[in-house]
Amino acid sequence: MSPNHHLDESTLMSYAAGALPAPLSIVAGAHLELCAHCRRRLGAAEAIGATLLEQTQPSAADEARLAVMREAMLSQLGALVPADRPAEVRSLPPERPQADPDYMPAALHPYFGPSLSRLRWRWIAPGVHCIRAVGMPELIMLKIAPGKSLPMHSHGSSELTQVLRGAYNDALGLFAPGDIADLDESVEHQPVTAPGAACICVSALDAPLVFSGWLARKIQRFVKL
Amino acid sequence: MYSDAASPPSSFDTARIVSSSQQPSSEPINWTHDMSGVARLRDRDCFLRIYDHFMPRLCVYLRGLGAPEAVAEELAQESLLRLWMRAADFDPAQGALSTWLYRIGRNLHIDRIRRERSWMQVQDAVEEASALDVVERSSAEQFADQARLRQRINELPAVQGRLVRMSYFEAKSHGEIAQALGMPLGTVKSHLRRAFLQLQSKVGGVR
Repeated sequence: MSPNHHLDESTLMSYAAGALPAPLSIVAGAHLELCAHCRRRLGAAEAIGATLLEQTQPSAADEARLAVMREAMLSQLGALVPADRPAEVRSLPPERPQADPDYMPAALHPYFGPSLSRLRWRWIAPGVHCIRAVGMPELIMLKIAPGKSLPMHSHGSSELTQVLRGAYNDALGLFAPGDIADLDESVEHQPVTAPGAACICVSALDAPLVFSGWLARKIQRFVKL
Repeated sequence: MYSDAASPPSSFDTARIVSSSQQPSSEPINWTHDMSGVARLRDRDCFLRIYDHFMPRLCVYLRGLGAPEAVAEELAQESLLRLWMRAADFDPAQGALSTWLYRIGRNLHIDRIRRERSWMQVQDAVEEASALDVVERSSAEQFADQARLRQRINELPAVQGRLVRMSYFEAKSHGEIAQALGMPLGTVKSHLRRAFLQLQSKVGGVR
């Protein structure tokens, strides 16, 4: 299974530049872990940064200073022997980690633990459970009952949502595990979860959601954004 | 004024394109040989050639991100020390040396200066996953890609070039760029998206 919905090019550039706000970069990382296509495009976005680095024009005034640092560097080289790291002792990741229904992307472990089934959900409305990441209020995990329609909403600025289990549909198509929705203020949508299993997804926001309706306001109050 | 990048280039754009084609930027350097000298023979001359090229550039880059002069120097030194220590990990088939060093410098800045604890955790997870990635380009092709990329960056329309530089050199988020330039967020994103696609067209088969 490879994802069908990917990170936007502008998001990949921002991530490569180290300019993506932290909560968004965590969800982007959860997708990159699963998506070789986006990893390849990320490599291209990092090559842009490297090319710009190559094109910087160091000023001639720095030369004396550089000579000093060069000496300092040389004196350190002798003292440092590279650690003899045997090649590839690193354990390789399982080939299809997402085939495990409990699979939690490693980028999310510090905030939600290692397994989807061990999450401790908080009820916020019929069919809707939520967990807020400790120390990072803009990062939330949502569990929505099958066949449920979420309130219509748009996004103050940017939202990234990665589906971890189950699926939902909206105007942009079907989002299944591994798919990421890369949304901004121009998108107003009303996701409907697929029948069968609950849909679990992780979302990061960099501004409040703009909701209408009572359930929406309840979520908003819970998320406190 | 920013809404339509398809409009004919302004006189400023034209002047920019003409001047950059009159002064072709220096050709990128292939560091594969020097890197293998560092990795296999611990050759200091090989290392110093790399050092002399990248050290001043890393300092400019890190200062641009807002690091004070002394801190920028310290992080640039540390980036190059890592190169010395970990040269054996460098694989030219995975991308240019400049890309490898760019990543090291960027990661050190986010980890040490911005102190975003989450960043290195995410980096490690993504790097782990990419251990299984199949590389489809030879190192010679990667090198040619890099040269083309350099040319294309100089040819970007002025607005796109400006937004690309604000992203990479000032590490400004889309929201911050939108605010600084009084441009709608969606416009910032679509300019960056177009810039990426233009830089990648026929390079590396990324599309």
